[in-house]
Amino acid sequence: MTESDPPAGGGDYEPLPGDFEPPEGKVAAGPSVADSLEELAETGAGLAGLGMLVPTAGPEGGEVQILASGWRLALREFASNRLALVGLGVLVFFLIFCFFGPLVYHTNQSLTNPLATDAAPSAGHLLGTDDNGFDELGRIMYGGQTALEIGFFAAFMATVIGTLYGALSGLAGGIVDAVLMRFVDILLSIPLLFIVLVLATRYSATVVSQSLIIGLFSWLVPARLVRGEVLTLRERDFVAATRIMGGTQTRLIIRHLIPNALSVVIVNITFLIADSILLIAYLGFLGFGLAYPIASWGDMLGNAQNAVTSGYWWLVFPVGACLVLVVMACNLIGDALRDAFDVRLRRR
Amino acid sequence: MTGYIIRRCIAAVIIAIGVTAVVYALLAFTGGSPAVAALGTHANRYTIAIWNKDHGYDRPLVVQIASYVWDIVQFKFGYSYKQGQSVGALLNENAGRTAYLSGAALVLALLIAIPLGIVQAVKRNSIGDYVATAATFTLYSMPSFFLGLILIQIFALDLHVFPALVSDNVTTTWQAIVHPLQLTLPILTLAGLTVAGFSRYMRSSALDALAQDYIRLARAKGLSERLVLTRHLLRNACLPIITLVGLSIPGLLAGNIITEALFNYPGLGLLFYDSLQNLDYPVLLAYTVIGGVLTVIGNLLADIAVTVADPRVRVD
Repeated sequence: MTESDPPAGGGDYEPLPGDFEPPEGKVAAGPSVADSLEELAETGAGLAGLGMLVPTAGPEGGEVQILASGWRLALREFASNRLALVGLGVLVFFLIFCFFGPLVYHTNQSLTNPLATDAAPSAGHLLGTDDNGFDELGRIMYGGQTALEIGFFAAFMATVIGTLYGALSGLAGGIVDAVLMRFVDILLSIPLLFIVLVLATRYSATVVSQSLIIGLFSWLVPARLVRGEVLTLRERDFVAATRIMGGTQTRLIIRHLIPNALSVVIVNITFLIADSILLIAYLGFLGFGLAYPIASWGDMLGNAQNAVTSGYWWLVFPVGACLVLVVMACNLIGDALRDAFDVRLRRR
Repeated sequence: MTGYIIRRCIAAVIIAIGVTAVVYALLAFTGGSPAVAALGTHANRYTIAIWNKDHGYDRPLVVQIASYVWDIVQFKFGYSYKQGQSVGALLNENAGRTAYLSGAALVLALLIAIPLGIVQAVKRNSIGDYVATAATFTLYSMPSFFLGLILIQIFALDLHVFPALVSDNVTTTWQAIVHPLQLTLPILTLAGLTVAGFSRYMRSSALDALAQDYIRLARAKGLSERLVLTRHLLRNACLPIITLVGLSIPGLLAGNIITEALFNYPGLGLLFYDSLQNLDYPVLLAYTVIGGVLTVIGNLLADIAVTVADPRVRVD
């Protein structure tokens, strides 16, 4: 909260009838409670985003339930979608499998073993070994870690940049908006794989560098989506109210517009994760992604053609199946969230 | 409508120029020095400075961008010092084979996706519909090289129908056309990816069209179901496909890189892949710019085609 904002709980603000009235003592105490409650009151009319912050209401908290209902309904809708739950289950499974699997299934992934290369699956190596003699199952776990890390990090970064850019552009309007959006049009016209590959040749591949390259070029779609939302939101009364009360532009964007455009962003983030994981696999496959000693699914499939022709199926199909399953899980979750929020969205 | 098309064309030209400028600037900031590429890594500072001056690389970035845009307008794509050839000649040499691969894949994808989407819509919520939806959804989540590897395993190694790699003898577009067996797997790989993108839209657009009154009227007047589908449904359900084809260009170009690298098919994608490995920036720059411009053209054509085909979306 900035200095120029109206004082929290100040006497000059009268909640409208039907607006949210904070139930005394229902919300966890803390220095920011007054602020966030005032927020809720202010944004009551168009509120969607802060519903999440409202704790599950007890029997007396009827008003709270009404506020949270947008999110509640979406959540219920999502939970009733069986495919979505399958997707969520698969994603959670892979998170556990990749990050906690190595704690249970100990494998050597640092010292090559020339005596045990390309060994078929056996009791000692459940999915055999690769051409360096590394255990394939263990390597799939480590490769999954980097894939998920890059996917989540790149999608997160793209979402943050895109959301701020889109909100700014939609709010500014006029010539600034036109220029900012033409810039997005230009960047969207450059095939993503091309530019990412070219940049990947320049910077040595690490989890961070690859996430940055992908994240810095995939914020365009979220930017467009958020701008579209902001264009409709900024005509609403609560935005005018915030302006009249002297709220700054920054406050308007961060506290009011972005929370209300959040559903669009959340749906898009799942697709961004899926796309980033696919993109990183393409980079790895072509030899410009993470490579030995770091494990990555794309790199493991880079030699797949030789493996296939030599009959080493265990080096190709298990890791490929993991890749497809993770991407599919993200897409399923995204589709279900989109149905749940019922926003008109198009991928790309 | 003419006014709209003219305005749309002007916007497309501006965006195409923007694409060229942005890609050039990005590579100028991050790309390797062309002087080092031309003179070798052991060139000393003075030779490099002289070379830069001779070739215009000492000018301000804005001037360089402007002159590069002007070159592109005149179809001058620069010179590949690594390969000792003009980039234009390199691109020209490979363009035909890539156009054939992409074109065949696109046509095949349309031939599969359109009937599939319509059948799925007509028989919606049947087992067949669910299977088809699951299959296309899986394809949609699959990296194209993995689809290619599965196809190689099944058709080349298990069934011995098609070769796993495109033979080195396929050097011209004509040879690619007269040896259909060689290119079957690459075309299938690229088409599979495109089908995955198209059929979901085709199904939902056919579902929308099926609910319209003119379909009910056609059925009510006693038209056979086949005629209802081919005469009335097909044309209306295909409208979104026009846009999708226009927007499929970046996907096809990216798919070309992967497919050509996987099957060792000499086209623009393989040229790009080789240039990435040789750090041959003039080629990378030129092909990225061309990819961007093709994308802009695809968007433009899609917009115009939809306006022409569908009177309802005409502005003005």
